[in-house]
Amino acid sequence: MIDLSKVNAGLWREIVENCGDIRHCFTCSTCVAGCPAAEGSPPLFVRDLVRKILLGLEESLLDDETPWLCVTCSTCEEMCPMGVKPFEVCLAVRRWQARNDESFIPASVAEIFETGHTQPVDRVREKRRAVGLEEVPPTIAKFPEMLEKFRAVLRETDLVKNNDYMFRE
Amino acid sequence: MKYGLFLGCNVPAVRPDVERAIRLSMPRLGAEMLDLEGSVCCPAFGSFPSADETASLAVSAWNFSIAEELGVPMVTQCGSCYSSLRMALEKLHENGVLREKVQGLLREKAGREFCGTASVRHIIDVLHNDIGIDRIRASIDRPVTGMSAVVQYPCHTLFPSEVVGFEESSGRPRMLRGLVEALGIEVRPYSRELQCCGGAGGFVKGSFAGASEFAFRKLRAVRAETDADLIVVSCITCLEHLDRMQAELAKKDPSFVPLPVFDYNQLLAVCMGFDPAEVASISTIPREAVVERIRGAGR
Repeated sequence: MIDLSKVNAGLWREIVENCGDIRHCFTCSTCVAGCPAAEGSPPLFVRDLVRKILLGLEESLLDDETPWLCVTCSTCEEMCPMGVKPFEVCLAVRRWQARNDESFIPASVAEIFETGHTQPVDRVREKRRAVGLEEVPPTIAKFPEMLEKFRAVLRETDLVKNNDYMFRE
Repeated sequence: MKYGLFLGCNVPAVRPDVERAIRLSMPRLGAEMLDLEGSVCCPAFGSFPSADETASLAVSAWNFSIAEELGVPMVTQCGSCYSSLRMALEKLHENGVLREKVQGLLREKAGREFCGTASVRHIIDVLHNDIGIDRIRASIDRPVTGMSAVVQYPCHTLFPSEVVGFEESSGRPRMLRGLVEALGIEVRPYSRELQCCGGAGGFVKGSFAGASEFAFRKLRAVRAETDADLIVVSCITCLEHLDRMQAELAKKDPSFVPLPVFDYNQLLAVCMGFDPAEVASISTIPREAVVERIRGAGR
């Protein structure tokens, strides 16, 4: 049984900044039918995330790791008959979780802050030379002075300000 | 025709032979690929878009500002980069508050301008709709004969069609098929043709067994229903994932015979006569036999 006296009725306002109006969701499960990650274990059921948000089930949602299974294919977004934008809901739940529990913050944000990339593009020199390419690609990896400015931009964001210990120079 | 080649992270680091294939094959078709100097991660959906929306859009706008300075459309092979950039551009156009915030950050902290004139294209779209089938057909000495393929449409170029689409119908894409047929290779339909590869996002990392079974079903269908000699993709994730998952499946089930996987531009570059050691040298499932058939028999 859900005790509605203990829920956060305003939860949806905290989470779904730029999504479609999730109050239109009537749990038809179209977002589940086309979802690869609905085969995960535990499965990702976006309709359940939407119910948790609308009912204000804060604790349950903060324990829920299924939004992180999303493949990002956006099939749900295409199929949803109510314009709820289920993929945006997945990302919005991830952001809300990351704001409320820093252990949800993905390590890749610190990698991008540090190098501009999620892959070591400047440390595969032999591999790149072997196929006839310049050893360091002409991305930010090749322009250290741009990396400084890039970090200066990110330093002004809430994510970096509130979690500065995660972000190395 | 001039474009800005958006490299992202996986292509230049993990499969630089794809980068080489794009850099060699596109100019042969009259498409000059300029470098987007100083570009960064798109950002990947699992990074900033999953943590902080303003930071995420600032990273995207950083990339847009580089392309805007050159005045060229951005072109990417990676499906995730394509979708992330398209969705970010849409948000920046729609949400004036976020746009102004991001513009201010870039201007004050980096001296960069995001104006909103950037455009983002997937390489299939450019090949099919800017360059065209006829020009591609004319760019190879002789068509390949006696070979067949299955194609993998990148999910990120299909959905949501309103934001990312360039096919006439997202439920019936056909452009990659046309591009492969232009090389003389027949394309076989099969029941799971439109199932995505499942390799993007957090599915593989978070639920390896589920993600493997999802891919295995697709791969078994290719084998059971077609006589394809190869799989053709146009996305770095499809390329890596279908390659890796076939090796996994062959380990579990020795009766499964894996197929080589090619990025379209790799196949095109091989057909154009470029050195396979440069344009198609990195893979798990060996590709040499198919490369030799393309270069040798009937040519």
